[in-house]
Amino acid sequence: MASMPVLDSSALAGIRVIDLADELAAYASRLLVDLGAEVIRVEPPGGSSARRVAPIVAGPDMPMLSTFERFVNAGKRSVTLNLETAEGVAILVDLLRSADLVIESAVPVLEALGISSERLREINPRIGQVIVTPFGLDHVPAWAPANDLIVMGAGGLLHLGGYPDVGPVTAYGSQSRFAASIFAAVAALTALLQRDLTGEAGTFDVSAQECVAQALEDSAATYALTGRVRERQGDRPREAGTGIYRCRDGYVSMVAGRLGTARAWTALVQWLNDDDTPEAVELLEERWNQFAFRQSPEAIADFVRIFEAFALKHDKQELYVEAQARMIALSPVSSVDDVLGNKQLAFRDFFIDVADSEFEKTMTYPRAPYSLSETPALAPRAAPRVGEDNVPVLVDEFGISFEAYRSLVERGVV
Amino acid sequence: MTVVLPLAGLRVLDFCWIGAGALVTKTLAELGAEVYRVESHTHPDNLRLTPPFRPGAEGLEGSGYFASRNSTKQSIAINMATERGREIAFELATKVDVVTSNFRPGIMKRWGFTYEDVRAANPGVIYLTMPMQGADGPHSSFIGFGSTISALAGLVNLSGEPGRVPVGTGTHYPDHVPNPGHALVAMLAAIRHARRTGEGQEIELSQFESTVNVIGPAILEASLGQEPVVTGNRTDDAVPNGVFQCSDRAWVVVSCHTDVQWTALLEVLDLSGLANDPRFRTVPDRKTNEDELEALVAAAVLRHFRSELLVALEAAGIPNAPVNSSRDIVEDPVLWDRGFWQNVQHPVIGAMPISRTPFRVVGHEQFTLVRPPLLGEHTLDVLSRELGMSAEEHDQLVAEKVLY
Repeated sequence: MASMPVLDSSALAGIRVIDLADELAAYASRLLVDLGAEVIRVEPPGGSSARRVAPIVAGPDMPMLSTFERFVNAGKRSVTLNLETAEGVAILVDLLRSADLVIESAVPVLEALGISSERLREINPRIGQVIVTPFGLDHVPAWAPANDLIVMGAGGLLHLGGYPDVGPVTAYGSQSRFAASIFAAVAALTALLQRDLTGEAGTFDVSAQECVAQALEDSAATYALTGRVRERQGDRPREAGTGIYRCRDGYVSMVAGRLGTARAWTALVQWLNDDDTPEAVELLEERWNQFAFRQSPEAIADFVRIFEAFALKHDKQELYVEAQARMIALSPVSSVDDVLGNKQLAFRDFFIDVADSEFEKTMTYPRAPYSLSETPALAPRAAPRVGEDNVPVLVDEFGISFEAYRSLVERGVV
Repeated sequence: MTVVLPLAGLRVLDFCWIGAGALVTKTLAELGAEVYRVESHTHPDNLRLTPPFRPGAEGLEGSGYFASRNSTKQSIAINMATERGREIAFELATKVDVVTSNFRPGIMKRWGFTYEDVRAANPGVIYLTMPMQGADGPHSSFIGFGSTISALAGLVNLSGEPGRVPVGTGTHYPDHVPNPGHALVAMLAAIRHARRTGEGQEIELSQFESTVNVIGPAILEASLGQEPVVTGNRTDDAVPNGVFQCSDRAWVVVSCHTDVQWTALLEVLDLSGLANDPRFRTVPDRKTNEDELEALVAAAVLRHFRSELLVALEAAGIPNAPVNSSRDIVEDPVLWDRGFWQNVQHPVIGAMPISRTPFRVVGHEQFTLVRPPLLGEHTLDVLSRELGMSAEEHDQLVAEKVLY
């Protein structure tokens, strides 16, 4: 393929994305921001619903701040448009004409405005469209919204979380939104690659349920091949050596002795005995060398007793470093403060402080989830104020006169 | 419409093992790339030894887990412990567009397969590694699995019932979604850049750093001085927002964001007597009395069969979902209708459902997954095509346990 000049060193320099996503897929275009795309988030006057999504930080001297919203919208531009007005939709059409991609959630937003996929391609034949819905385009539920717990349930990951006694408990942090958004970003990049080959980018149908169902591990194949339905494991270790165990200042998570970590089991037994934990002598008995025995309820319970007798003498950081020196896959169950203070992440300059002018606060962002050597990801930048880019986009770029712009504002269009 | 797949013509030399990496190259294959998976009988992928197996189909070719994440790839058997094997693999690396691996730092170096090594012979190559914590830094040699990475990154500690031992997702979640997904984002961007400029590059995905990003909002929150809280299934903007067990022991999600939904729920559950109960009049009232409310809803749900209750909740406009078990989800007609599940025929396993990458293109013919390869099934095919190797040389190298 013929090489074309690229203007700056970002992978998506020159790509414009219109972000019509609610909280379900807002992180998708954040991933494209990291790659250098210009993302224009279109919000209703007053701001999108994502601005009220937990976690919320509030105080007497500050407005309600959604750290979810600040995180997923970092580096985007914000334009406010009242899409219930014809003028608002007309401006959106201008935006779509100027763009390479549009991302919608949790319903087909353009369709609801009377802009079908065919009409969209008349407006802009080269635009790629990514529509993220809870269950796919043909299966919009009679009610809304389908929140995280619903998508996690429908996607099957909820079934594997929680406790045998309490019942299913979902993962922290609305992971269905992250799952849906990550694959929506993959779809968006696929659209660009498709356009480069054929001239047409297409319309992508992303089902959040399917994105969550990618996380079912062996359980779907296990049912299909054996008829066995995997149930939640909870806080009971899966086998001796694999699970979450208490230590002096919290918990550690370990995988030792399963396939591929057989040597780790031997190292673990050695470690407990080196530490002079009297209970650990028992682990030297021959039966503990048998993986089948270590999967028995008796072995699982005995190992908890023996390992915790050892681990309760030590802190999770100590256990982490010593286990790793012995080639045992053990990690601390970190608090968020532990993560913020992690030495490895500090060495790699993973966290970056960003000044946020809307809230007059500085907050810490993680850097992009990967590194690219020649087209480096951009460092996180603050999320925009509501309508922060109205004037630069509508007046400076689209040439709306300042008087006409003021009139749009007065009439609540912008 | 017949489709030119977006990665048609792209060739990938794939050293990825086990979990996260295998899902990256599975998607690349579904987007049209030729994925050459390097394996050997001397060091087979642990996933090939990992259950489930259909009874009677145990062995290197029988793992349903391996099958579920290696469809549409080609397998070449190369014994990387031999010098000739490494030479052949390196020759392949000079021909392809992409080289992928997810070993600990050091293994690719020992084989002479670092990015610098490969780039010297193949300047446009895109080279992906997925070390647990990155290639440099004091913990770069540390080892882990999805579950321990999830713990290290802070996700486990926040996931569970308030006051109980945290449990995380109950799975190796980072291996299935955040890490392959983020790696694909970087990979597709790098492929597009290479197609436009001819320039390759190195992609490093630290599995730890990638996983921290999916609790990004909690990182910001803690940096503002507020400790992130464990909320279990509850949420600020809906009550109830929880899971409840039905008379047939299956679970449902029920969620009410509005007064209308709450009133409708009381009717569905024959709890209309609570309609004027002052404890539950407004959302803030219901939030304040959530423990009592959940207990009443749980007792009422327990009187219903799940299938009937789901129909009633849907008809009443109450947000709901089954908590789908693996059986429910494998049998979900919507997922078959959408082509998410495809029935793939395998010579050892027989028929099994395998999922495609979770999106589709409107108006395009559905991509058909190709059954996962037998170990070394494509060795001759790939080596003759890419390196012009003769059948005689191939057979000789098989006998010498180089192509083995």
